[in-house]
Amino acid sequence: MRLTGKVVLVTGAARGLGRAIAVRCAQEGADLVLSDVCADVGGVPYPLGSRSQLDHTAKLCRHEGSAVLVEETDVRSGESVRRMVASAIDRFGQIDVVVNNAGIAAPSGRPVHGITEDEWSLMIDVDLTGAWRVMREVAEGMCERRRGSIINVASTAGLVGYRHFAGYVAAKHGIVGLTKAAALDYAPMKVRVNAVCPGSVRDVPEFEGAMLAEIARALEVPVHEHEKTFVEAQPMNALIEPDDVAAAVVYLASDDAKQVTGSMLTVDGGFSAR
Amino acid sequence: MPHLHDGLLLRSPADVDPAGLWVEDVPAASTSAAAERRRATELSRPALDSRRVLLRYDDGETDLVVVTRREISVSTAAGPVWGLGDGSGPTSRLDAIDETGDETGWLVALLVTLQRYDPESAPVVGTPRGAFSADLTGPVRAVRLVPTDQPAAVGLLFCENRVEGEYLPCLAPPFPLTVSVYHDDRGPRLRLDHSAALVAPEIAEQFARHLRLVHRQVLRRRDAEVADVLLMDDNEVLRVAELGRPAPPPIPTASTIHAAFQRVALSTPDSIAVTDGTDQLSYRALDERSDVVARSLRAHGVRDGDRVGVCLDRSTSFVVTALAILKAGATYVPMDPAHPADRRNYTAEDAGLTLVVTPEIVLPQEESVLGDADGDTAAYIIYTSGSTGRPKGVVVPHRNVIALLDATRDEYELRPGDVWTWFHSSAFDFSVWEIWGCLLTGGRLVVVPHAVSREPDAFRDLLKSERVTVLSQTPSAFAQLLSVDHADLAVRLVVFGGEPLDARILLRWFDRHPETRCRVVNMFGITETTVHVTAQTVTRADALAGSRSVGPALPGWHLYVLDASGRLVPPGVAGEICVGGAGVAAGYFRREELTAQRFLPDPFRPGVLYRSGDLGRLRPDGRLDHLGRIDNQVKIRGFRIELDEIRSVLLEDPRVSAATVVVRRDDPGDAASARIDGYVVLIEPADTREIRERAARILPDHMVPSTITALSELPLTVNGKIDQERLPHPAPAPSVVDSTPTGDELADQLRTIWSTVLGVPVEIDDDFFELGGNSLYAVRIGAAMRAEGLPTVRLRELYRHPTVRGVASAVRGS
Repeated sequence: MRLTGKVVLVTGAARGLGRAIAVRCAQEGADLVLSDVCADVGGVPYPLGSRSQLDHTAKLCRHEGSAVLVEETDVRSGESVRRMVASAIDRFGQIDVVVNNAGIAAPSGRPVHGITEDEWSLMIDVDLTGAWRVMREVAEGMCERRRGSIINVASTAGLVGYRHFAGYVAAKHGIVGLTKAAALDYAPMKVRVNAVCPGSVRDVPEFEGAMLAEIARALEVPVHEHEKTFVEAQPMNALIEPDDVAAAVVYLASDDAKQVTGSMLTVDGGFSAR
Repeated sequence: MPHLHDGLLLRSPADVDPAGLWVEDVPAASTSAAAERRRATELSRPALDSRRVLLRYDDGETDLVVVTRREISVSTAAGPVWGLGDGSGPTSRLDAIDETGDETGWLVALLVTLQRYDPESAPVVGTPRGAFSADLTGPVRAVRLVPTDQPAAVGLLFCENRVEGEYLPCLAPPFPLTVSVYHDDRGPRLRLDHSAALVAPEIAEQFARHLRLVHRQVLRRRDAEVADVLLMDDNEVLRVAELGRPAPPPIPTASTIHAAFQRVALSTPDSIAVTDGTDQLSYRALDERSDVVARSLRAHGVRDGDRVGVCLDRSTSFVVTALAILKAGATYVPMDPAHPADRRNYTAEDAGLTLVVTPEIVLPQEESVLGDADGDTAAYIIYTSGSTGRPKGVVVPHRNVIALLDATRDEYELRPGDVWTWFHSSAFDFSVWEIWGCLLTGGRLVVVPHAVSREPDAFRDLLKSERVTVLSQTPSAFAQLLSVDHADLAVRLVVFGGEPLDARILLRWFDRHPETRCRVVNMFGITETTVHVTAQTVTRADALAGSRSVGPALPGWHLYVLDASGRLVPPGVAGEICVGGAGVAAGYFRREELTAQRFLPDPFRPGVLYRSGDLGRLRPDGRLDHLGRIDNQVKIRGFRIELDEIRSVLLEDPRVSAATVVVRRDDPGDAASARIDGYVVLIEPADTREIRERAARILPDHMVPSTITALSELPLTVNGKIDQERLPHPAPAPSVVDSTPTGDELADQLRTIWSTVLGVPVEIDDDFFELGGNSLYAVRIGAAMRAEGLPTVRLRELYRHPTVRGVASAVRGS
């Protein structure tokens, strides 16, 4: 139990990686604040996490013995984020760990000049600025308490480029930059900021992941073909499991990583090593 | 693709017995699905000897895989069907027993116990010396063990010698369920090791108990017939009988439907009771109008206990008429105008109708006294088609309908203010729930016209504009609603009935209507038990797990699961679902013999039990799993086929939104010509061959549909269930099976050899591996060919051309 007594806030917790991270943190003894947008967002071509899915994640975490607060939060809105953090402080008195996991993979699938102004803004707003908004709300409290761990879920797209995913790649590179800068800002206050960079994560049915399927759809290739391409490109010849990423998050959240800040922990089977 | 090492027993080449058999694979791409599957098949065969398999890939790489001899041939198939396991990893339990006895006694006891747990399959028990079965028809003393090479899911490790200290028979259970009998320093022991993924701990516990009881009888009651050996003692029988009755019956709130209605009408006279688009009636108006019609019916000669047909579309008039018939002391017999005239005439004749109310009929407006009815008076007769014979009229008394509402009113908060749909045909008893469920709880009943019920868009618009709160649906009809945007609805309760529900279709519903705002309840029911029997609130967790549970019995109803001899079976074991309690109908109208066959005295309580003909099992917590119709249990080439399971695998495909599966026989007289045809509705255009390929990766070979046909929608019956008659014949299967002699003497000779060795019928183009062939069989085939004076074929030739046709041409070429 590496997170006993810690309060962990996970955004985008309704399903997929967010659910896997939440459940893993619960298994490690954390109490949780779980949020998701619980609505569809105009411009995103696929359904986003639902309230029912978020409630189900909460149920799985409670089953592990955690106290759980569920919040419907749109990371595009500063007000919405402020409300979530206030409710969390109200309920638990503190936030020890933030996992900025909320993100979208599409609209994508076009070259740079094919992206519209709105699409570009939406992607940056959710995937980059969303994480900044949450950090802005929690940082002060963490600094006061001289402890805290912020984990930004970036991607290998934060380290290398992908064709026809310029918005996503730019946002994830932005997350990497934000992580490094924030790590320096807060290091004196013993607040750590790190990023995990997952490779292609398998859509596990029990976690209801949809990311890989949506990326494949954006590229207009069948999912299994897309999976195959990734597996072949990846030195360890396997897709990443959500649990693999969750384990990395738990490490960064735990006191085992007390000297780790400003780092990019890749969980990509060696993909970005070449 | 990952290579094949996962889960195999790998050793370094030095470990291998040099006599081990070399098998050389043909070069094929490591990513070729067909080659991958073939290799996996080859490598997963239980082997009697170690063998080395050299896998070659077309990029020049090779893998040397060593399949070691397995000590015990373990079933790689799914574990016990009665396992109910959902955990994982091995678990064990230990019981003290009176005596160890001998191995044969335990083998016989295990075989008998297994047969009771799964009467459909021949019981097989594995041992380190091989597997055994037995003919279990005579007395216990006559049971003789017969060696078999069938895979065993249950095994016995019997240790004759007394062992010192604590004896551990196995570290990892070699069978899904491994029974060990031995004698250590604390005395005789019975130990059960099982994989919790396949066998739940509660089931393992009772299995050990039953095995011990059976073993005692095997030793002490040697003259008893095997069929008379008891699995459970009297106490346990009573406990299991009680398990299916989770709640006591509520106290009846009224005696008749119309009395209950009048009470509601008095308390909310001005609320709208029923609306059908053109007409709407308040509770007071409905009460008054039905009074007038009831008096007219009496004046027309209708008397207490008469049967009156109602041949009207779903409408306010139907409701007025049905209520009037009840007030007149008579029984209503719904006749759907959409049904064929023949069927309606049959109903009219069989039910001996005094009168049929049609839109054209003009009843005399005369004053007359109302009729007299009590709880035992038949309220309605609904005709159901069985799988055989003509439709039969199910007679349902008033008190059953009252009991149904008393069992559900509080639990589902059925209140004035609710808005219900009446979606289903009046001749389908789901409508009884819709009409009276609404009108006896003060709700507003919205009639769904036939045309609207067939148009998901129009139906959605109706749900929206009428702000419907209680929606009752068959799963097939609901799946159509899910195909359109259904976000903005006020539905707070969805009740499923009429068909088995595949809970996975609900994920999309929950995404729009979280469980906190809309409760979803799956009810299993039968016309003969008054619409519903059990209820299960379905959650996202159930939907993700694809749960088959239909929940515990409603308060007042109770369940037993019986074997073919009418004995209770233990929890987890499949048998016939039998229903007792408040919902059991009075019987079939004028079918005494059939009534006596299906409605039996309840062996544990006063009252009558209805034998449903449905297969199910009770879970240890008293919930029921519904497993389909008994007469739908299909066997193809000796394999038991679970159509629901195939359908469920098809539905898991993200490209598929709805699916159904049927078994057809090209030659009705020949069971071997049976074939499974799948039908799917696609979310996006996709190649049905890919869908079949995906299913083939999950399902055992004998359950893979021969054909998959894409349809724009699945045809439904007027009752909203899938209409199998209207499913088109599939496009011809890609590989046509040639079952006639080929005229090629060599090929026919080879077919005979193959089918003798493999123990299955062989066609000229059947794939050796798909028939269950492996390297050992290949060697035996070689030996048989030599014995018949044929030139032998090198193994690699067989692997390269794994069909009779291929081998025949190789023989000719050599």
